[in-house]
Amino acid sequence: MTAQPIDAAAAPAQWLKAALAPRRRLMALASGLVIADAIPAVGFAAGLALAVGALPQGIGHAVPGALLAVGSLLARGVLAQCATVVGARAARAVKGDVRRQVLNGAFSGRLSDAETMTATVEGVEALDGHVSRFLPARLAAGVTPLLLIAAAAVVSPFTAGILMFTLLPFVIGMALTGMAAGAESRRQFQALERLSGLFLDRIRALPAILAFQAEAQQAAVIGRASENLAQRTGKVLKIAFLSSAILEFFSALAVALVAVYCGFNLLKLLPFPAPDQLSLTQAFFLLALAPEVYAPMRRLSAAYHDRQAAEAAAPSLAGLSDAAEVASVRPPVPTSAPAIAFRDVTIAYEAGAPVLTGFDLEIAPGATVALLGASGSGKSSLLHLFLGLSPLSGGQVEVHDVRLSDHPDLTAWIAWAGQAPVVVPGTLAENIALAWRAAPANRVKEAAARAGFKGDLNRVIDERGGGLSGGERRRLGLARAFLKPAPILLLDEPTANLDAASEAALLPVIRAAAEGRTTLIATHSEAVADLADVVVRL
Amino acid sequence: MSALNASGVARLKSLIRAQERRQGARLLAASVCAALVSAAAVLLLGVSGWFITASALAGLAGPLVAHSFNFMVPSALIRFLAIARTGGRYGERITGHDAALKALAALRPQLFEGVARGPVTRALTLAGGEASSRMVQDVDAIQNRFVRLSAPWGAAAGMVAGIGLALLTGWTTALAIAAASALGVLAAALVGRGLAEPAGRAVQAASGELKTEFAAFAAAAPELQAYGIKPWAVEQLAERGAALERATQSLASAGGWILLTQSAAMALAIVGVMATAGAASPPLIALAILAAVTTVESAGALLTAFRHNGAVKAAVERLGDLLEAPTSAPRHSVAPTIDLSSTDLSLSPPQRLAVSGPSGVGKTTLIERLMHLRPPVPGEASLGGVDVAAVSPDAARALFAYAPQQAVLLAGTIRENLKLALPTADDDALWAALEDADLADRVRAAPAGLNAPLGENGARLSGGERRRLGLARAYLRAAPWLVLDEPTEGLDAATEARVLERLTARLERTGQGLILVSHRPAPLALCDRRLTVTGLAPSGAVQMAVRETA
Repeated sequence: MTAQPIDAAAAPAQWLKAALAPRRRLMALASGLVIADAIPAVGFAAGLALAVGALPQGIGHAVPGALLAVGSLLARGVLAQCATVVGARAARAVKGDVRRQVLNGAFSGRLSDAETMTATVEGVEALDGHVSRFLPARLAAGVTPLLLIAAAAVVSPFTAGILMFTLLPFVIGMALTGMAAGAESRRQFQALERLSGLFLDRIRALPAILAFQAEAQQAAVIGRASENLAQRTGKVLKIAFLSSAILEFFSALAVALVAVYCGFNLLKLLPFPAPDQLSLTQAFFLLALAPEVYAPMRRLSAAYHDRQAAEAAAPSLAGLSDAAEVASVRPPVPTSAPAIAFRDVTIAYEAGAPVLTGFDLEIAPGATVALLGASGSGKSSLLHLFLGLSPLSGGQVEVHDVRLSDHPDLTAWIAWAGQAPVVVPGTLAENIALAWRAAPANRVKEAAARAGFKGDLNRVIDERGGGLSGGERRRLGLARAFLKPAPILLLDEPTANLDAASEAALLPVIRAAAEGRTTLIATHSEAVADLADVVVRL
Repeated sequence: MSALNASGVARLKSLIRAQERRQGARLLAASVCAALVSAAAVLLLGVSGWFITASALAGLAGPLVAHSFNFMVPSALIRFLAIARTGGRYGERITGHDAALKALAALRPQLFEGVARGPVTRALTLAGGEASSRMVQDVDAIQNRFVRLSAPWGAAAGMVAGIGLALLTGWTTALAIAAASALGVLAAALVGRGLAEPAGRAVQAASGELKTEFAAFAAAAPELQAYGIKPWAVEQLAERGAALERATQSLASAGGWILLTQSAAMALAIVGVMATAGAASPPLIALAILAAVTTVESAGALLTAFRHNGAVKAAVERLGDLLEAPTSAPRHSVAPTIDLSSTDLSLSPPQRLAVSGPSGVGKTTLIERLMHLRPPVPGEASLGGVDVAAVSPDAARALFAYAPQQAVLLAGTIRENLKLALPTADDDALWAALEDADLADRVRAAPAGLNAPLGENGARLSGGERRRLGLARAYLRAAPWLVLDEPTEGLDAATEARVLERLTARLERTGQGLILVSHRPAPLALCDRRLTVTGLAPSGAVQMAVRETA
């Protein structure tokens, strides 16, 4: 079904095709199983027809036909279940592939975390119906009607001709209604996204809404948008339901045409010479088969929104998959702490005003610099520059003999500690060793001791950080920094949300960690800033 | 998921029931249509089977019988039934979805208000968390609950029509069809409860866990990069994703099993007809066979509902979890006097208090507790002589107009953001507030002026502009106290002087009191009292000392 303009849909459609290509076999199997349903469908119609046709000779004669019908029914059920399972398996495989690709592109600073999260969960999930329902339905809609018409032709070529003849207007009708429904439901999809966006935004802005006691006012805003969406969706659904009613009507009309022919043929009242002489069995078979000819196309039109959901999700999925393909050089790690120079640095993310402009700073080898300023002033973005997580939109940063504008991979140069270090289920020692998987046990022990951990390093920590206090969690981050012998140390808010006593206890550890390295600390805290050789206010 | 929040779930269910009552007429119409569809479908096939068989017998009996065979009435009936089925299905879908959409449109603002008026810690931890996106999805899931309300009626009508038709064949045949159909529904219900419901819940849970873990890793992205453990994190998340996919597949497979029970029930019904209808005429047996098949088929919508049950139940539980009975504090208003218990400081407008102290020491905590934007600590302060913790959030917040350090902005226009503070404000008032915040020139320069869209959380503004828009917004609210947290941070000296001069003029005009948090000398000079915050006591109370200034 080609119900939409090629130019607009070409890119996501192509990406989708490429993403699905590796699982072609599984998807072909799912489609094959859906098409195979044509065999028991014919069997069911034939069984019913044989049973009914034999009724005049007594119900005992009808048993073999009835058994065929019952057996075919069960076979259809089993086949449908197999098709469902294989389709779901294919969808699972495709989603697994795409999610992995998308995750590789995530955390790259290209898209906001919220967008990436939506792509990773809902976006990937949107492929499910496309793979498990739409694609098999599309193939079946092309093949199954022809198979069934061929089966009808064996019994009555004239009836097969009628079916074939009605197929054409049916396909045209389906394309037209599908197109109308497609355009409308895309609009509805956008309206739904707008309301979701509004809802999320107002939840995010709750602090301001509460402070200004605007709960009722904003609830009314959401109510209006919600009402609006309901009206819009109502219109869209009306079209979708109308088109499905039209398809149903078309199919009933076609069946009626077959029924009229069969009925008059049986009564021998045809106004023209009968092209073939039907028995009750044959007529019943044709009548039972006729609705099955149109069913695959009606199923396809019902699955059409699955395709639209997948294509709506495709652009952001494609964007993240591209982001994964970045290769860069890894300059050798200098043996001593490097000098760092920021020259006229501008950082601007895709949407919005630059977070930082015209930033200049010279840092001597081994110096410690504190970047002080309110949130949003660009402190963290400056640190992210070194990891390629924020864009160097203007100016230059020189680290030792390397320029950041060349996008080098400085991972090996950098030790990092932030306010929410990653915690994995496992022992404390294993958690520290994330910084250096092959670290000898004594080095881990030493790093733990320098970070101020006392007691058992083999105690178990769960993934939510259970068993670690807020201060200990920061110590975990610093222990990792001690363990990794990198010449640059970056600390992002190392003491945020800690009480004064815990912060004071952490200060000597930070001082020790900074020793012998060029250190940048982004912080709100004057106490942390006091550790630095240079304090920069942003 | 944590333990069930029974009171919240009960509250949500009562909201949903209220909507069901409000949409009663539409839901009734949908149910009637569903019944019409099933009855028409059963009669259509039954009559068709009878008709074709009778035609064949008449044809065999010779031209005389064939010519006297009345084909007009049955064929007219068949056409009528086909139209009734199509029209009924259209009507059911339209009215059912219309009811669901209208109900959802009414539920969304109620849920929002319920969350906003809940305990402040719960409301604010929602902001930005995955719970908020959950809220959107789960509300959508509830739509199914409304749409499927007509399903039992369709199934029942199909059953009645099937039994009615089959009675023409014989009462044992009717009984056989009824039994097979009921067995099918029962089996599907069991499969639904045993397989689909746990799978549906697992899908919701796995998707929540994936999001939670994603958020945790996203917060630590630089660490993942610096230690080269991103591949490991991707692996972890991919495993979570695989769990989600497994659950989705189980749900799909459970749906397949439910359909299989339907096929089996159809087969059983045919066997039942064959076993019981021996004595009837061939056309009536054909009628019974086809009626049997469609009777079982008409329960299809009900079976789909069994499949969705798990997701709907999980959605109701999770949304209910967000709703809590609002804290019951006295609602009456309080006088705008502020007493800070650990000092002998007692303030009322138009006094001006400066709050200073090193970063992170608890200044913002102190003022936000006064406004119930953080849970207040009993014994720390009182408003109008009543302990803050005992004052209702509404009464406390009514006393303050607050410009926080980081203004939280709506993703709307400048006008919408300003009107958050005063919905009735006219343009003159908006411009005056912008003027006082030294932002009017900037807004005037934008082509769309007050209607300029800001993007998410003011993404199109610089940090300083965001702060000043927050300031203008606070100016518009005629509360007894103006609370400004670092209002001139990041402004150059000339702008700062201009903003402070206009602030002074405004305070003199309005008679508002001022609470100002800053560490800069110029704004502090506006104030007659000075409070130094020194830290948090082990009890959680803010420790402070008063210093009189000239």
